[in-house]
Amino acid sequence: MTHLLLAAGNTAVSTPSVSYHALAPIFIVLGAAMLGVLVEAAVPRAERFTVQLMVTIVGLVAALVVVGLLHGTRTTTPSPTGNDAFFAGSLSIDGVGLFLQGTVLALALVAALLVSERSVDVGSPIVASAAVVVGSADDRRLTTADRVQTEVFPLMLFAVSGMLIFPIANNLILMFVALEVLSLPLYLMAGLARRRRLLSQEASLKYFLLGAFASAFFLYGLALLYGYADTVDLPGIFTAQQTSGKSDVLLYTGLALLLVGLLFKASVAPFHNWTVDVYVGAPTPVTAFMASCTKVAAFGAILRVLFVGFSSAEWNWRPVIWAVAIASMVVGAVLGLTQTDIKRILAYSSIAHAGFILVGMVAITKQSTASVMFYVLTYGFTTLAAFGMLMLVRDPDGEATQLARWSGLARKSPVVATVMTVLLLSMAGIPLTSGFTGKFYVFRAAWDTAGPLVVIALLSSAVAAFFYLRIVVMMFFAEPPVDSPTIAIPGWAASVALTVGVVVTIVLGVFPQPVIDLASKASYFTG
Amino acid sequence: MHEVLLAAGPLRHGTVPLGEAIAFWVLGPIALAGAIGMVLLRNAVHSALSLVATMGCLGAFYLIQQGPFLGLVQIIVYTGAIMILFLFVLMIVGRDASDSLVETLRGQRWAAALLGVGFALLVAIGIGRAVSPVTPTDLNSPNAGGNNVHSIAALLFTRYLFAFELTSALLIVAAVGAMVLAHVEREGPRPSQKRLARERIRSGRPQPLPGPGVLSQHNAIGTPALLPDGSVARESVMVGSMESQEERQALPTPSAGEGGFE
Repeated sequence: MTHLLLAAGNTAVSTPSVSYHALAPIFIVLGAAMLGVLVEAAVPRAERFTVQLMVTIVGLVAALVVVGLLHGTRTTTPSPTGNDAFFAGSLSIDGVGLFLQGTVLALALVAALLVSERSVDVGSPIVASAAVVVGSADDRRLTTADRVQTEVFPLMLFAVSGMLIFPIANNLILMFVALEVLSLPLYLMAGLARRRRLLSQEASLKYFLLGAFASAFFLYGLALLYGYADTVDLPGIFTAQQTSGKSDVLLYTGLALLLVGLLFKASVAPFHNWTVDVYVGAPTPVTAFMASCTKVAAFGAILRVLFVGFSSAEWNWRPVIWAVAIASMVVGAVLGLTQTDIKRILAYSSIAHAGFILVGMVAITKQSTASVMFYVLTYGFTTLAAFGMLMLVRDPDGEATQLARWSGLARKSPVVATVMTVLLLSMAGIPLTSGFTGKFYVFRAAWDTAGPLVVIALLSSAVAAFFYLRIVVMMFFAEPPVDSPTIAIPGWAASVALTVGVVVTIVLGVFPQPVIDLASKASYFTG
Repeated sequence: MHEVLLAAGPLRHGTVPLGEAIAFWVLGPIALAGAIGMVLLRNAVHSALSLVATMGCLGAFYLIQQGPFLGLVQIIVYTGAIMILFLFVLMIVGRDASDSLVETLRGQRWAAALLGVGFALLVAIGIGRAVSPVTPTDLNSPNAGGNNVHSIAALLFTRYLFAFELTSALLIVAAVGAMVLAHVEREGPRPSQKRLARERIRSGRPQPLPGPGVLSQHNAIGTPALLPDGSVARESVMVGSMESQEERQALPTPSAGEGGFE
């Protein structure tokens, strides 16, 4: 006994070897986030906004460059050293992971520019001080003040770091922690709107409660899968499906509950209930960030769970993906038709698009992986710019998102109307826009295995096209209202962001081949 | 030593030791009753205390299943720290300050209860069937020689190193979030003691506001104090923490003279 105790005291654990260069993008973004927190404490308020923006942009650009330098890597880290028992690395840096990381970083960079836009609203679309009670005298004074709650930048960077880890997490515990790291800042950011603050705070609370609920499903599924496989590593779960003698009920219940948590984040019907209210309540640049970056990260994680951990159970989860894809497309398209608010229409459109992305996941092929990766990239840029455009059309009390307020917009500002038209046509999937190429590759990848599903997807995109085109028709052919909304002239930040969004939408529609080649070259997993 | 134990043959109940089985059947119903009580009880303090019972039982389960570290962490962190903090918050906000329970969606409570029970049955039956043929195993080898904590540490710093490190990001976000939501920054210079005193004298009301009427029947700070004539001192409570809209309206309005503050 004494002998054992002494042995326990002396047993050294061999430290695992960590491949720091492969994790550099994550460390850069996390480092920038922590620097941002320090900036909050150290820099006087007058310079804080500029310094925070610099830290954010430099951090994101540096991380993007490093992701580019890492191309072709295939490694899992941290890996065991010495005579420790074997374990799989908890992060697998591979083509799919790096492509999605790059996409998240590029989209976050554009979203950060939108967040930093200060010319369209007094101060910023972000609240001056989130802690001040809504409707109090201080609140009324601060609404028109120049001050901004600059913590939004470090929070955004923390969310991005979670989104960088989420699609490369090779073990479910890490995937859960990454899910929380990306969600927690988003809950906060959703409540930071400068206008209609109560609505924004309600959105934040709703998102938080439902998000916590979904996390509980994820954890329950994780526990059942651990019971089945004795491990939480995705490759280990894959192996256990061949070797485990335990009941398959544990495996399938676990996978189902895990998927509930993941599909919630990707706002796929029937787990979409939070999406519309949160997208409407959150400040518009934050909505743009959520709609683009969160989707990329969430679909990356779903792709990895299904294609790495459960590729041999394909026949069992395929019907589930069919069902949720159809539900999502139908809910998004049909409910989108009934809306009269452009922000709500775009939110329903994001639910429909989640369904289109899932169509690409019904078959485990290199081609389908590449098509999903390409689709989230194209959709991300289009939706970022579309939400960004909402910031420009304004009433005295904030953004004019009512559909009726947009009628006859082309007469007042042909440029805004034209740009919005390009973006809406892309969402509808009209040729020569990135939306068309994205849909084309996803449907082509799914056609051989899931023909009927592709037909349903085509039908619902036709229905969805109706409400996009309705906005276009209103903008160009309807009479403008008497007190037509003003068109704000965006500052440099939003101008750059919107231009990037529109240019990517058109370029990927006309000349998509290089990016598609990149996606197919990157469509490999390790782990 | 070993021979003696083997000869005696530990008492067993099915595949688990008898003591463990007894502990489970005693604590299990308590844990379950606590969880149900937490949802059903109207009084927030009772709800919180039910949850304490459930969490204490869970801690005991971990202990008897050879997870001493996890069991103690469960008791110290959850029941000891988090729930007590939660009770503090309840006491500060006012025990009786309850939310509106008006249903905005008709029949949603029944639908939710039905679906919830259905889902629970589905999962419970599925898992029950799945794990019944499994023989429970023990943690003797990872726990050998009092190594429970050591084994957990080894896992945290090798296999789950990155997840463990990443939780620090979560803590930073939580701290920043709490500041963002609750901290109102001061603008302008800090008012001096002298200025505050002058303002107070000039305000016509130099004395502090009356304290809340915490009597034996009510222990929430939302209870208003009574003046000598039996009327309610409205200034003794913050309007927001009054028990409910109706009660606030029902309160007798003391005339200006009665309060004696003029």
